Amino acid sequence: MSAETVADLVTRLEQHPFTQGFPTSALDKLTQAATLQTFQPGTFLLREGRDADHFYLLLQGQAAIELYLPERGVIRLQTVGPGDVVGWSWLLPPYRAAFDVTVINTVQAITFDAARLRRLLDDDPTLAAHFLRRLVAVIAQRVHATRLQLIDMYAVKGGRP
Amino acid sequence: MMPTPPSPAAQPTGPTGNAWVPIPFTVVRRRREIPGTVTLWLAPPEGYPFAFRPGQFNMLYVFGVKEVPISISGDPGTPVPVAHTIRQVGMATQALVNLKPGDVVGVRGPFGSAWPLEHARGHDVVIVAGGIGLAPLRPAIYSLLRHRPQYGNVVLLYGARSPRELLYARELERWRGRFDMEVLVTVDRGDRTWHGHVGVVTTLFPQADVFFSPQNTIAFICGPEIMMRFTVRELLDRGVPPERIFVSLERNMHCGQGLCGHCQYGPFFICKDGPVFPYQKLATLFGIREI
Amino acid sequence: MRPDLSAMDTLPPSPGSTVAFEKTALDILIATLRQRGYTVVGPTVRDDAIVYDEIGGVTDLPIGYVDEQEAGTYRLRRWEKDTFFAYTVGPYAWKKFLYPPEERLWEVRRENGTLRFTEAPLPTEQYAFIGVRSCELAAIRIQDRIFTGGPYVDPRYQARRERLFILAVNCTRAGNTCFCASVGSGPQAEGPYDIALTELDEVFIAHVGSVLGGQILAEVPHRPATEEERAAAAERVQATARTMRRALDTTDLRDLLFNHQEHPHWEDVATRCLACTNCTLVCPTCFCFSVEDLTDLQGESAWRVRRWDSCFSQAFTYTAGRPARQSIASRYRQWLTHKLAGWVDQFGVLGCVGCGRCITWCPAQIDITEEVARLREQPPQTERSPS
Repeated sequence: MSAETVADLVTRLEQHPFTQGFPTSALDKLTQAATLQTFQPGTFLLREGRDADHFYLLLQGQAAIELYLPERGVIRLQTVGPGDVVGWSWLLPPYRAAFDVTVINTVQAITFDAARLRRLLDDDPTLAAHFLRRLVAVIAQRVHATRLQLIDMYAVKGGRP
Repeated sequence: MMPTPPSPAAQPTGPTGNAWVPIPFTVVRRRREIPGTVTLWLAPPEGYPFAFRPGQFNMLYVFGVKEVPISISGDPGTPVPVAHTIRQVGMATQALVNLKPGDVVGVRGPFGSAWPLEHARGHDVVIVAGGIGLAPLRPAIYSLLRHRPQYGNVVLLYGARSPRELLYARELERWRGRFDMEVLVTVDRGDRTWHGHVGVVTTLFPQADVFFSPQNTIAFICGPEIMMRFTVRELLDRGVPPERIFVSLERNMHCGQGLCGHCQYGPFFICKDGPVFPYQKLATLFGIREI
Repeated sequence: MRPDLSAMDTLPPSPGSTVAFEKTALDILIATLRQRGYTVVGPTVRDDAIVYDEIGGVTDLPIGYVDEQEAGTYRLRRWEKDTFFAYTVGPYAWKKFLYPPEERLWEVRRENGTLRFTEAPLPTEQYAFIGVRSCELAAIRIQDRIFTGGPYVDPRYQARRERLFILAVNCTRAGNTCFCASVGSGPQAEGPYDIALTELDEVFIAHVGSVLGGQILAEVPHRPATEEERAAAAERVQATARTMRRALDTTDLRDLLFNHQEHPHWEDVATRCLACTNCTLVCPTCFCFSVEDLTDLQGESAWRVRRWDSCFSQAFTYTAGRPARQSIASRYRQWLTHKLAGWVDQFGVLGCVGCGRCITWCPAQIDITEEVARLREQPPQTERSPS
């Protein structure tokens, strides 16, 4: 990777909410596992049940976290956009995605190679601490939102549970 | 290229005589199970032989309405009157659910493959059911209990939407009271009267783990496809061999004989090659959208 | 010097032998079949197309006609020669006789508080097909496997099939949408047939395929075919293969399809495909059907019919209130993947015989050979061939 590309990636990482405020040395290190990519509408960032070999920081565009049920079709659970992250199944064995993530509007993202990223985190506890703290925050926020979704808060009173 | 040889699970037990023409069976008993779901017991005409294997289905025809595939949910040891648990989802199932004792339905069958109980001998048996998916598994449970010494541990994990949608609740209690079977029940949404487990059926696995040794386990799964997909993964992660994980699929069917083409799923006819499949055969197809 | 045609052998020609007869004598052959109780069905011109229908003699045949076919195009025209079989296949396949588009399976009456089911009488038709092409014979062989080769035999198909007389015709001209040579189903007719003809300028060269074929030919003035005639007949068929313009590459075709199930190319086809079901209706191997239950107005009796159905219709996969295959992309994928991949697993053969009908009769000019070629150019998305 050219010095220019690395510098560009570092700038983008500095601006992304997920990596904002990381020490510059940490961002430099992260670029070793990162590339800037564009994904067309209809393509998948992740497929349910298959290898979760990438982690994404979204810069532009929109994607959807979905599940396909033959009985009901595609269920769109949540949409994500610029500033969001996609994927955490890459962090824990068996490294398998739990959902489909489909591109809705052309996505520009910083794509991390999961294996390399894991090695970087294993080798550098400080980087790992920064990284995991941010990821836990994202997970907590998603779980919270999911529970609210589950209670079906706009349901008509007395309707089905 | 030669077709893949059928798995032992795919040997069909055909209906007696012409597979096209229904036999009139009489409703002898009806029981309301849970909201929108009814069990009917159907008696064949005098002297008509009827036997089935757990997991197989019949095509049920209501006069003037239409015909639908419904799995058999009774005890294969006492095959008649034949029990069908039916959930009302469309016109035909609505007509079935509304039948009363004395009414007559046309029956073709049994069709399809069975839960491979013969391969379960000597193994721990894990049965995972979701919602109405317990109905096609119940004959397998009856069979396992009837020949209980032939098997290792028997574990049933059952998940339903809510406490009032637990199918065969009294039977579940009876099974749970046995010393030779583990029964774990959960609901997706609980209420204050429910003192049991709340969470999707896969969340039962941490509790269930002590009851089976994965390498020596055979698993039977039936429920919504998404539930089966996630359950299969839990089992694979624990080391249950993919060739010993079995699932039951559902599709539109018109003939039950692998001729009409409606129930195709990849290269398989669900009516003839299934509905029970070893997961290994479906591994590359499971989860493909609109397959 | 030509042998005298009137010098007839007294014994019927035996299976495996090759004889020659005057083209007009085909009329005698048809008459013989009719005398023996056959409903003789053959090509005839209707609505500017070659269709298969009951024929009384050679005057009903499309003598002097040729067809011009292209993707989405079919034109019939006369040419200067008095050929009997120079055209290729029209929109209808023979399946409409052996497996009719609609037929009743049974009736049921309410009687004394019970239901009384009565199977529809088995068909008694005795058909003689005149002019079955090699691709169509391959299609009949395939439908034989589907309807009579599995654990469940279809008694209605079987009843018609058992009594069928087949007069095959080797193609001496390739249509522009034909590709039988590439899928190994022609242009030389392979059994089962009773007689196979090759049309030369003056005579038909007839290969006897069965004892019955020999008996029928015995009624027609004939003589043994000469060495030159047999060579000329073989050359005409070989020339047909050489001049065939389209081809379907069958190398690893099954895996190609299974490994491209999630490929974006299906979306591309879907922008063109109208899901009109034409391809499945004209296809000589497509076998899917629906059953429908009908009731009389009094509600005393009901009956079941089966009708050709198509995997392109949305209702085809309607399960528990919703079609499993909602998008056109998924339905086209199903059709092609079934035909070229799943079929191999199910019946041990490809579901395509290279007749080209789906290409000619597609209003959107979608070409099965082209779509497969496009898929070949693109790497598979995933390894997903079922083992």
